[in-house]
Amino acid sequence: MRDEPAVSLLFKAVAMLTLVVLLLPVVIVVLAGLNAGDYLTFPPKGLSLRWVVAFLGSATFMSAYIYSFVLALVATLISTVIGTLASLYLSRSRSGAAAALRGFFMLPVVLPGVVLGLALYIFYVATDIGLSRTFAGLLIGHVLVTCPFVIATVTASMVGFDLSLEEAARSLGASPWTAFRKITLRLIAPGISAGAIFAFIVSFGQFETTLFLTVPNHEPLPMAMYISLRYKFEPTAAAAGIFAIALVALSTVVSSRLVSLRRVFRA
Amino acid sequence: MSETAGRTLLRRPAFSVAEAFGGFRLWWLVLPAFLFFLAFFLVPLVSLLAISFNKTVPGVMTLTTAFTLDNFERIFTRSIYYMSILRSIGIGIVVAAIALVLGYPLAFLIAKTEHPGRNTLLMILVLSSMQLDMVIRMYGLMVLMGDTGLINSALIWSGLIHEPLPLMYNTFGVVVGLVQVTLPFMVLSLIGIIRAIHPSLEEAARSLGATRGEAFRQIVLPLSMPGILAGSLLVFALSISSYVVPALMGGWKVVVLPIHIYQQIAESGRWQFGAAVAAVLFVTSLIAVFVYHRAAVWTSGGRT
Repeated sequence: MRDEPAVSLLFKAVAMLTLVVLLLPVVIVVLAGLNAGDYLTFPPKGLSLRWVVAFLGSATFMSAYIYSFVLALVATLISTVIGTLASLYLSRSRSGAAAALRGFFMLPVVLPGVVLGLALYIFYVATDIGLSRTFAGLLIGHVLVTCPFVIATVTASMVGFDLSLEEAARSLGASPWTAFRKITLRLIAPGISAGAIFAFIVSFGQFETTLFLTVPNHEPLPMAMYISLRYKFEPTAAAAGIFAIALVALSTVVSSRLVSLRRVFRA
Repeated sequence: MSETAGRTLLRRPAFSVAEAFGGFRLWWLVLPAFLFFLAFFLVPLVSLLAISFNKTVPGVMTLTTAFTLDNFERIFTRSIYYMSILRSIGIGIVVAAIALVLGYPLAFLIAKTEHPGRNTLLMILVLSSMQLDMVIRMYGLMVLMGDTGLINSALIWSGLIHEPLPLMYNTFGVVVGLVQVTLPFMVLSLIGIIRAIHPSLEEAARSLGATRGEAFRQIVLPLSMPGILAGSLLVFALSISSYVVPALMGGWKVVVLPIHIYQQIAESGRWQFGAAVAAVLFVTSLIAVFVYHRAAVWTSGGRT
């Protein structure tokens, strides 16, 4: 009984099927972006870089890619700063308020993205504070949906953190700020980097929250691809997808080196 | 996300930053994030709920204090609206069930994979498929499942069928799309709980004469229940919330709640009514998330 494999054949077969369901659409996007024909057909027409070249010169998709990149960068910067500060509080305070706040900061993730986007849109229009359909208004939405990921990752990375290290530095004469900078910050830096990477990916691929907040004629990449998919299939969009897939795959590999992925995703 | 992690930390003795930093108070650190969330999350959400109780005036969006239940009455009495609530819920349940059947074996495999490199590879595959932009994944599915897509053209090419199968722009397509995007969440909800089941329990059952299937059904499966419940509710909440998957895979023919919201706002300018539909969606997913949270607490309680 001990020499049989830990996982039965049936489970292995279904697990493989699940991996196919997860990965096949991604593989197809890559193939569609690299195919030689006007449309990915069966049997395929062969490989070419024509759509990649078309993407690099495309006014729609290249500018959408850059727009999404800048938006994600700024949103990440803001949510990493405010999220890390909040995490320091959340992981050190023992008060009931901290536990409640932790739950509060996770809410944007569980709220349907369309509802969050609409709530912000209504708020911008009702208050007339000039944020409706602007970059700043969209940015606020993206900070809200990315901040929970920073907080989850940074607090998770502080689980093993030994506060006595900081106290030791203090007792050896370091100022609080020096002790924080030289000990704490160094030790939690991988967690912060991983949180920032998650935030970036979430913002870069964000569609639902963006729906009601997009600036006219300045669509982020997911929105530009959505419009293209609704009305016509352009292999250029698939070529843009290849660059987005590469970005996400690279980021996940880097973040897996920085923190325990299991701990962050509670798996 | 890491609720357990947070709770472990809270039990530690608090570092008295307040005293070390002079006048510095620890809660100052949380202030920027808190104020940001207050101004741009809580206030907008309350405005959305408030305006959903205003009378619908197309094209006009001013919050008044004349509150009425008109919008909600309309939602629950006109079949076009309450049917879409039921449709959303029905699709959510079906997607959760399929995601469970497909996700459990993969979670089991990852939980039982001891080899660190292989384990990390599987985790990266699941995580990167979770994090990849949904629109990109839908592009892949649409190329696969369209009338002239890969599946249909391969079947026609091989002579098995003559007319393309209707795989997309219907409920079937929406369900497939939602299963694809929610599967990683199901897998991640299950890995921890399966790993926490001590192998000796299964071995004990086997040594007492249970077959592998019996040991699984009577020991492993019941012990995985908290994770199964948590994963299913999470998948349900994500499925009823999704706009982009029903919009693309259903081609607006499968009208679920998020589609209604968009049409009310963007096409009819009926802000108050759109807000009311959004409030219904919000409350439905809040209930699922609340139960999920209880299940997750149960999960982590069972682990430690």
